[in-house]
Amino acid sequence: MSRQTHALRGWLLQRFSAVYLAGFLVYLVIHFLTLESHGYDAWRAWLAHPAVALASVGFVLALVLHGWVGARDIILDYIHALGLRLLLLALSGALLAASGLWAVRLLLLNAG
Amino acid sequence: MPPMQNQRSAPVFLNLLRIRFPVGAVTSIAHRLSGLLLFLSFPVLVYWLDLSLRDPAGYAHAREWLDCLWVRLASVVIVWSLIHHLFAGLRFLLIDLGLGVERAAARRSAWAVNGLVLLLVLIYIGWLV
Repeated sequence: MSRQTHALRGWLLQRFSAVYLAGFLVYLVIHFLTLESHGYDAWRAWLAHPAVALASVGFVLALVLHGWVGARDIILDYIHALGLRLLLLALSGALLAASGLWAVRLLLLNAG
Repeated sequence: MPPMQNQRSAPVFLNLLRIRFPVGAVTSIAHRLSGLLLFLSFPVLVYWLDLSLRDPAGYAHAREWLDCLWVRLASVVIVWSLIHHLFAGLRFLLIDLGLGVERAAARRSAWAVNGLVLLLVLIYIGWLV
């Protein structure tokens, strides 16, 4: 795949994930502003609701993809030494993948 | 300002002290900075989620985080990052769609985003204290 197609795919991914992230954030803010029952059980029950759990897992996946495109853009723009660039790309990818898998695992365990 | 040697290449005059920063540039660089901060806070927030779901004691502990002054200050930074990234990002999406591309409109929307974000962060700080 050419460099241009690759960049265009990232650009599209960044924008489509952005729309989903923004929509979910608006839902979260409305939810927490109108929250009626507080406490541990209510918190877990809300996150375990199938629709919320599914949308949250989708949020984490969109966040990981969005974060990856953003981190890659910043690293490629500012870091020009090849070794350091590859190191930072690898670290960013590892941080995103590890945090994302951790979050998805939490959400699925809580829902299951 | 001398004419550029090669119109096709990216600008190389990058002395940050001599570049003028119009409002759109401030909004744009803050969009990057806020994205970077959100990226770095992601693992911490997942840890917080883990703690809050573990057991009632963990949930109580997760809530107590917000009693700590440093966590409260960090939360202001994260909330600013989130709100700025959201609204500046929406502005960029609209510009991508061809809305508000003209310079005057783009400057107005950049001021609007910066002002709205500041207002919302102040509301958050008011809620926090």
